[in-house]
Amino acid sequence: MSLFMQAVLVALFVTVAFIDSHTTQIHIFRPIVVGPVVGLIMGDVSTGFSVGVTVELMFLAVIFVGTAVPPNPTISTAIATGIAILAGGGTDLAVATALPVSFIGQIAETLQNSIINVWFMHRVEKAVEKLDTRGIVLNNFVFPMAVNAILYGVPTFLAIYFGASYVQGIIDAIPDQIITGLSVGGNMIGAVGFALLLGSIKAKKFWPFCLLGFFVASYLSINMVGVAVLAVVCVAMYYYFVIEGEKESSQA
Amino acid sequence: MGETKLANKELWRIFRHQLTIRSANNYERQQNAGFTEAMMPVIEKYYDDPEEKREAYERHQEYFLTNDITSAIPVGVAAAMEERYATEGDIDPDSINAVKTALMGPLAGLGDSLLNGTARPILAGLAISFVNSGLGWLGPIFFVIGMSIVSLGMRYLGVFQGYKQGVKFVEKIQSSGLISKISELAAIAAYTIVGGFIPALVVINIPIEYASGDTVLNIQEVLDGLMPGVLGLLYTLLMYWLITKKKMSAVKLILITMLVGIAGACCGILG
Repeated sequence: MSLFMQAVLVALFVTVAFIDSHTTQIHIFRPIVVGPVVGLIMGDVSTGFSVGVTVELMFLAVIFVGTAVPPNPTISTAIATGIAILAGGGTDLAVATALPVSFIGQIAETLQNSIINVWFMHRVEKAVEKLDTRGIVLNNFVFPMAVNAILYGVPTFLAIYFGASYVQGIIDAIPDQIITGLSVGGNMIGAVGFALLLGSIKAKKFWPFCLLGFFVASYLSINMVGVAVLAVVCVAMYYYFVIEGEKESSQA
Repeated sequence: MGETKLANKELWRIFRHQLTIRSANNYERQQNAGFTEAMMPVIEKYYDDPEEKREAYERHQEYFLTNDITSAIPVGVAAAMEERYATEGDIDPDSINAVKTALMGPLAGLGDSLLNGTARPILAGLAISFVNSGLGWLGPIFFVIGMSIVSLGMRYLGVFQGYKQGVKFVEKIQSSGLISKISELAAIAAYTIVGGFIPALVVINIPIEYASGDTVLNIQEVLDGLMPGVLGLLYTLLMYWLITKKKMSAVKLILITMLVGIAGACCGILG
């Protein structure tokens, strides 16, 4: 496949992934999916998997709640995987590319929410005045989704088609310590996402479970599957012993 | 009477339009255009008079914001209320927006901690483990199937149950404390997951060594011997304090974290 076709296909996938993230949310927009798919298109699935896993781990904890727009993992994984494969630079290069691109994606999405979609929303309002149901669907759904192709698809195409040679030059110009620093920082940004999530939890009295999870994972070094099992056990114990228990005692 | 109830086909149409709840998400009124689109099937069915139709649509142009997926519940409830108002006329139309607004807050918190704080990190963590054990495509496929069940299943339940039970649904969940109980369970899960994932996902390493006489003291090894991953925990708590008490924005903190990483790597303190 020519580079042109590959860049077109990756851009197409990114557009579809953004449409998913704005509508159905079956989550094909996450790095764990984007990495391997882009790897498949670019002809190097194993690099796709390793970039997907690395960036997913980096963004796993970047959990933004409410109206905040997080740094975008979709476009950054797509471009980082493409460039890593083209430049043969492995996952270090991918992480160094992924972070800056995720901020560009975040800026684009903020622009979309604050200006572009405000404009479409007012067009929906006009369609409502005219009782034009087609106009409601066009301006609420069809046009904003088409904008995704321009905001995210086109930059992805350009980055993959023209980017590899430039990016290689830029990366070469950056001192190694900065690249290491970016991945050191990347390993720490999960703290911000976790802090946001902790802040959003209303029932603060359950904080000891946070320490329980931490100490079990750190001292026994169980993996994420083990943590998930632990969470299920804790929820089940609370349900049976406390919630059901209250019901029984109120009946008795 | 058959005419006055939404058929399954029409509920599926609401389900389909509900999927666009955030497609025109905007900072002025958030998901209002999406909510308007979701209400189209019910408004088009029950209102004939153009003036009444316009009024019904304009009701849903108001500010609306909750979690994208749990928003299916107010969509279903509002559909039932619009139907009741159009066919029986015995409820106050203002109460439709009042109910929507009442559900917004609790459902946002519930949706964020159940979906973003629990389901997604757990499924992604499992998918990563699958890939790392050499199962390849099974990881991402498992993840997408799991998230499809969560996203589409919750929306299905929200629209269909929200409609069938209508305002009763709101009363029921408020009186039985169902939301607060689910929130408690979600809080336990989210706290356990966050705590348990910190050692793997917030990794801070200090590669400094002290040589005193013959023995070389490696700071990271000492810390790992005492409490593995403690720096990640402390850094997360620092971020928590800065966000909740100092009201710093998350984006600022991410940028600061990256600068700390670069500065630390340049000085050789972090690595």
